[in-house]
Amino acid sequence: MKSKKVLIGFLKYLIVIIVSVIFFFPMLWVVISAFKGESELFLNPPRILPVHFTLDNFKSGLKFGNFTQYFVNSAYVTITSTIITVIISTMAGYGFAKFKFPGRDVLFIGVMATLMFSLEIIMIPMFLTLKGYGLINTFIGIIIPPAATPTGIFLLRQHMRSIPDELLEAAKIDGANEYQIFTKLIVPLSVPAISTLTIFSFVWRWNDYLWPFLVINDDKKRTVPLALANFVGQYAVRWGDLLAMTTLSIIPTLIIFLIFQKYFIKGISMTGLKG
Amino acid sequence: MSKRKIPITPYIFIAPAIIIFLLFIVVPAMEGFLQSLFTRGIIVRQDIPALRSRFVGLFNYQKLVSDPRFLTAFGKTILFTLTTVPSIIVVSLSLALLLQEKIHGVGIARAMVYWPSMISPIIIGIAWRWILGYDTGILNYFLTLFHIDKQPWLIDNARAFISVIVVSIWAQTGFFMVIFIGGLNTIPDSYYEAARIDGANKWQQFLGITLPLLRPTTLLVLVLSTINAFKVYQLVTVLTSGGPGRATAFLVQNIYEEAFSKPLSVGYAAAQSVVFFFVMLLLSIAQFKLSKEESV
Repeated sequence: MKSKKVLIGFLKYLIVIIVSVIFFFPMLWVVISAFKGESELFLNPPRILPVHFTLDNFKSGLKFGNFTQYFVNSAYVTITSTIITVIISTMAGYGFAKFKFPGRDVLFIGVMATLMFSLEIIMIPMFLTLKGYGLINTFIGIIIPPAATPTGIFLLRQHMRSIPDELLEAAKIDGANEYQIFTKLIVPLSVPAISTLTIFSFVWRWNDYLWPFLVINDDKKRTVPLALANFVGQYAVRWGDLLAMTTLSIIPTLIIFLIFQKYFIKGISMTGLKG
Repeated sequence: MSKRKIPITPYIFIAPAIIIFLLFIVVPAMEGFLQSLFTRGIIVRQDIPALRSRFVGLFNYQKLVSDPRFLTAFGKTILFTLTTVPSIIVVSLSLALLLQEKIHGVGIARAMVYWPSMISPIIIGIAWRWILGYDTGILNYFLTLFHIDKQPWLIDNARAFISVIVVSIWAQTGFFMVIFIGGLNTIPDSYYEAARIDGANKWQQFLGITLPLLRPTTLLVLVLSTINAFKVYQLVTVLTSGGPGRATAFLVQNIYEEAFSKPLSVGYAAAQSVVFFFVMLLLSIAQFKLSKEESV
């Protein structure tokens, strides 16, 4: 009986390890391959670890195309868009959570209903609309439209509803105006929800491909995912450079993941968040 | 204080978000419906006959029904959805059950399974394209170690389709596993204890307690993964580019190509988008109805 338990425990461990390898190995393989020279990269049969560890792929990758520029573009778009998302969602979340006004519920349902119009669905009319606004090939075109996210507003509203109304009343009696209540009371009390949204928004925007794909056609304005996809589209894929640039591009998300891992997984399991 | 007065403050707070939604969701959505009634290209100039926009009523919708390209892409998307969604549910629920147990190192395993959900579909496509290569791909190398022939993963139609399905499951499992773990955590331990006292084995506990109590979570996963499957595009762009031929060209790719690589087809592409939208609408209504049923 006891040996059977030990055996089951061992089998469970074995399965856990196999599963982890299946999910972790593919990205690890990209990173390992990125440090291999051209001759080792296409060795048949392949060797798992590089014999001659080299940074050549990274050097040539950054030179090829304008990868330094693409990383700057991605950072700029990600940071500005995230700041705007956080401000807009915090404001709207407060408006919906703590006020009673005509049309509130209809507007809120309307906001949530926009979830159905994801970019994949309205790609063509979106292009025509952005073209009409003169936003094609501009950074504004990939920063502003996705900045308002129903998920973000929902997250902030849910959080702010748990802030007791008495606190707001007390602040009003003390003579605080609406602006002061918002910045001095609501925002500090919403830090957990604001941080969650910041992390999510950063990852969404950093990974985003569809918006830049639709809006940007000037090479100098490309973001990293767009440039990487373009890399693959070429007749002869330059695998060494591609793998090196792919490796660089996952560093920011990896750092965020390592720092906020618990937070992240908790946030998703509570709300089913998705951008 | 007069109750009649309409407060202006809340409108100021919600204004930025509402304005963006109006300009970038409501306007394009209406534009989509409107343009689906026209035959037009990307650039419209009424003074040049070849660039003119013409009102054609529901002609674009009639065209859809007998367009083999659209119907094939639509059928493939449905086949893709019907294969990925059940697999995602089974795999992510199994992993949730496996990795929610409090054994040593399970947190790391959970993080490893979740990690692909943090990465752009573009990068996942690149990674797998590298792994699935015919001569230099590591997967075929592993196969030869087991004396299995190399497989033309991305070269052969059927294998390319299967590859897209498997990679897509791989990419999403972690996210849905986390949602399932959240659902599992809401089931009180006392239920299982009671069942154990009554002599129920693990399998009976799963069927009698876990599965029924997990129904709301399973429905959420079902709807979200179905919507994701219908929208599949980014991953395919880099993994197979829709190929070989059009073996893995799905709905979104078809709409995009229709609009941007064919003359005067923007209206027609818009009509395809409208059909796509109604599929999504039906799915959302189904979700809403099911979740309402749940709370009764």
